[in-house]
Amino acid sequence: MGVDLPYKLSAIAELTGHEDRAWNVAWNPVKPLLATCSADKTVRLYGYSGIPTPTFSFHTSISTDHGKTVRSIAWSPSGETLATASFDSTIGIWQQKGAQDEDEEVTAGEWQCASLLEGHETECKSVAWSASGTLLASCSRDKTVWVWEVQPDCDFECLGVLMEHTQDVKSVAWHPSEEILASASYDDTIKLYLDDPSDDWFCFETLKGHTSTVWSLAWAPGGRYLASASDDCTVRIWKRVAEHQWECVCVLEGHERTIYSVSWGMTTTKRVSEEGGEPLGWLASAGGDGRINIWQLEEAPNSTVNSPPKYELISCIENGHGDSDINSIVWCPRAGYQDLLATVGDDGMAKVWKIEVA
Amino acid sequence: MAFSGALTLTDLNDFITPAQACIKPVEQTNKPEPGAAATEIRIDSGGSYYEVSKESSTPSTQKLQAAEISLNDCLACSGCITSAESVLITLQSHAEVLSVLSSNPPSSSPSYRVPVLSISPQSLASLSASLPTPTPLQTVLDRVAAFAASLGFVHVFDTTFARELALREHVAEFSERKARGGDGDLPMLASACPGWVCYAEKTHGEMLPFIARTKSPQQIMGTLVKEWLGEKWGKRPDQIYHVTVMPCYDKKLEASRSDFYNEQYSTRDVDCVITTGELDLLMREKGFDLCLPVATSSPSSPLPYLLTHSGSSSGSYLSTILTHISETSSVPLTLTSHAPRADLEELTLSTPDGAPIFRGARCYGFRNLQNVVRRVGRSAGVQVGRGAAGRLVPRKREGKGERYDYVEVMACPGGCVNGGGQLKPPRDAEGLTRDWAADGVRTDKAWTREVEKAYWDTHGIPTPPASPKLGTSLDEVAVRVLGELCKPRAEAVRWDERMDDEAEERRRRFFRTQYRVVESEVVGLGVKW
Repeated sequence: MGVDLPYKLSAIAELTGHEDRAWNVAWNPVKPLLATCSADKTVRLYGYSGIPTPTFSFHTSISTDHGKTVRSIAWSPSGETLATASFDSTIGIWQQKGAQDEDEEVTAGEWQCASLLEGHETECKSVAWSASGTLLASCSRDKTVWVWEVQPDCDFECLGVLMEHTQDVKSVAWHPSEEILASASYDDTIKLYLDDPSDDWFCFETLKGHTSTVWSLAWAPGGRYLASASDDCTVRIWKRVAEHQWECVCVLEGHERTIYSVSWGMTTTKRVSEEGGEPLGWLASAGGDGRINIWQLEEAPNSTVNSPPKYELISCIENGHGDSDINSIVWCPRAGYQDLLATVGDDGMAKVWKIEVA
Repeated sequence: MAFSGALTLTDLNDFITPAQACIKPVEQTNKPEPGAAATEIRIDSGGSYYEVSKESSTPSTQKLQAAEISLNDCLACSGCITSAESVLITLQSHAEVLSVLSSNPPSSSPSYRVPVLSISPQSLASLSASLPTPTPLQTVLDRVAAFAASLGFVHVFDTTFARELALREHVAEFSERKARGGDGDLPMLASACPGWVCYAEKTHGEMLPFIARTKSPQQIMGTLVKEWLGEKWGKRPDQIYHVTVMPCYDKKLEASRSDFYNEQYSTRDVDCVITTGELDLLMREKGFDLCLPVATSSPSSPLPYLLTHSGSSSGSYLSTILTHISETSSVPLTLTSHAPRADLEELTLSTPDGAPIFRGARCYGFRNLQNVVRRVGRSAGVQVGRGAAGRLVPRKREGKGERYDYVEVMACPGGCVNGGGQLKPPRDAEGLTRDWAADGVRTDKAWTREVEKAYWDTHGIPTPPASPKLGTSLDEVAVRVLGELCKPRAEAVRWDERMDDEAEERRRRFFRTQYRVVESEVVGLGVKW
């Protein structure tokens, strides 16, 4: 299938070590570090160096002492702090001992749990830092979304408990510049939340359209679009049509099973289209069929407020993790490495992919 | 969502949610019949289940027992955080009240029980706000009393005098804890909210030492009615049927606690709790119009009534302690207030040189409750919560100045005037819009403000009145109740004075209670989706 597509994906690293399925992968936004988490309750960190094709090496493993699976991980924007969401219903906040020095070199200090956030009643499914790093969101099978404020000395204060979904909440994602939070649920909807400065966090928009569980969310780097991946085998693109209003403007098809993860990356190696619309970056999706799809999106020329973006499948690879489900796919956000993608799967493996012109 | 209609009273969205499902296993009591293979289950119009055998030539029908989950099951189980209304409805409902009243034999009979109704001031405020014109709480109380009398209630009280006693005991307990000053003594956390107590028992056992042992006003009312008044009426506790009207469903759970069960007479201090909404339903079912005046022939009450405790509409616990500290301080103290968020207000008392000597907070709603748990756990150096946190870095205690001395914790956002059992806001024909930009979301908050206004009997005046000094006569009644219940060898002079050991033992029995950790028997469902 991939033969006619203009770009190709090649695996540049296959990182083993987890003893159970790997659930989530996260690139440190500042340092050359890649983190993965697993049902084996550990977080594994890998370092990398070399341009344009880096080599990866195992850095350290954090045996989190979470009582159950570590389902999701998220780096703070500063790259100093790692949050873990676990099926044991807690959120762990991890920092490296003696890691105060400014240089980008990875210090060898031990990672320790600086704070443990409790309150969720059942399995935590996802955790996310706001763009400023001052807010943290978590969600759970208990149907709630919590907003936490980061306080000095690694303390956290709960600012809101949002009980809007009628089912398990799968994922939370912050807008890349504004304090808008999105959540995706087993109830097939996406909810958007805002803080009312005089009051509480509240849900201001419910996005309906998916016909099954919404598993994953990804904001476009510019913040005007939101992508959602679903069990209905589609990715929907939602566009901001007014300050507090989003509409579904297109539906991307190309998977045969549940799409578990979607990531929206900036890319420097933009493929120039004939019309030359404003680039919106590349969208990667992966899931139960083991396929990785890469879409290029751009603003249509003469676009109106609710006109859909132009999209084109530019790369595709089958059986990314053999027969295994791919649970998470993430673009590297760091300059110079934005053509790298990391995936993790039920095979417990993490893979790093490089996208190049075919 | 699993909320009952009444629990989603407002859009404030900060209530404790019931868990997805009751996990109490149903005991199978139907004996298997040998040979009976093919049967089907039929449900009749009354909702009863029947097992119908199809195999034999003469089809037989056997009524099946309904699975029942009692309040005690709920209390002993940590499956849900609070239990669902449906579980409570059979044992503690307005239908149950009517059924007991209708089966009550004539007062000449030895098995006659004196029906007594006690209504909370928050319930009166909710009823008042629902009326088309502003109606003083006294008028509402008179009308409720007239209605209750028509049902057969002999005495109708409001619970403010019980709260007066709760506040006195609360202050006494705070002073004791402050004097002791050991681990687990301070901060003291309010104990009047059963939602909070239940939540702490089920999920935050480490908070229990901090929760005040003082009984809630409802349970002190139970003691007053069954012990103190009962004795005056020449009635044993089991010869009184005591119903309370509360703003909160969880008060039903509180009344059902084993601590408030009298083993000797097999009776509870409060026999049945109905919510404001259920009282309203009862009045409407009986065709009683709360708008219409009644002939007020209320006999002089043996209890002081409709006392105002200024500070908060959730019992004024913090304010009472602040007042006590100010009044007993040797130097004049300044009160500063800081309200960083909705439903969170921090109040600090400082000496003239600016040194804080007391920090308290009013903290309502599930979200703020989480922060109290975190903050108290941190400042007291106790490990918060469940789950393994083996690698958690030990944190140094914060300086003493940082921690609270007292927190008025209530589980409902907006506090007790916005309790889950209160009346819903009157709605126009189209219902409420949920457009966030319009004032849809605010409408329910506006309603809560109306109830708050009615509570303070100050339609038009936005703030609660300044603290009135308690009258001497009130002092006398309170101390007399204490003396007559606790029977000290030397006559009691002040509420907070220490009596002899036996009298203090009785004080603990009548005015204090205890809490226990409810261990989870269920270790999740292991669902991994």
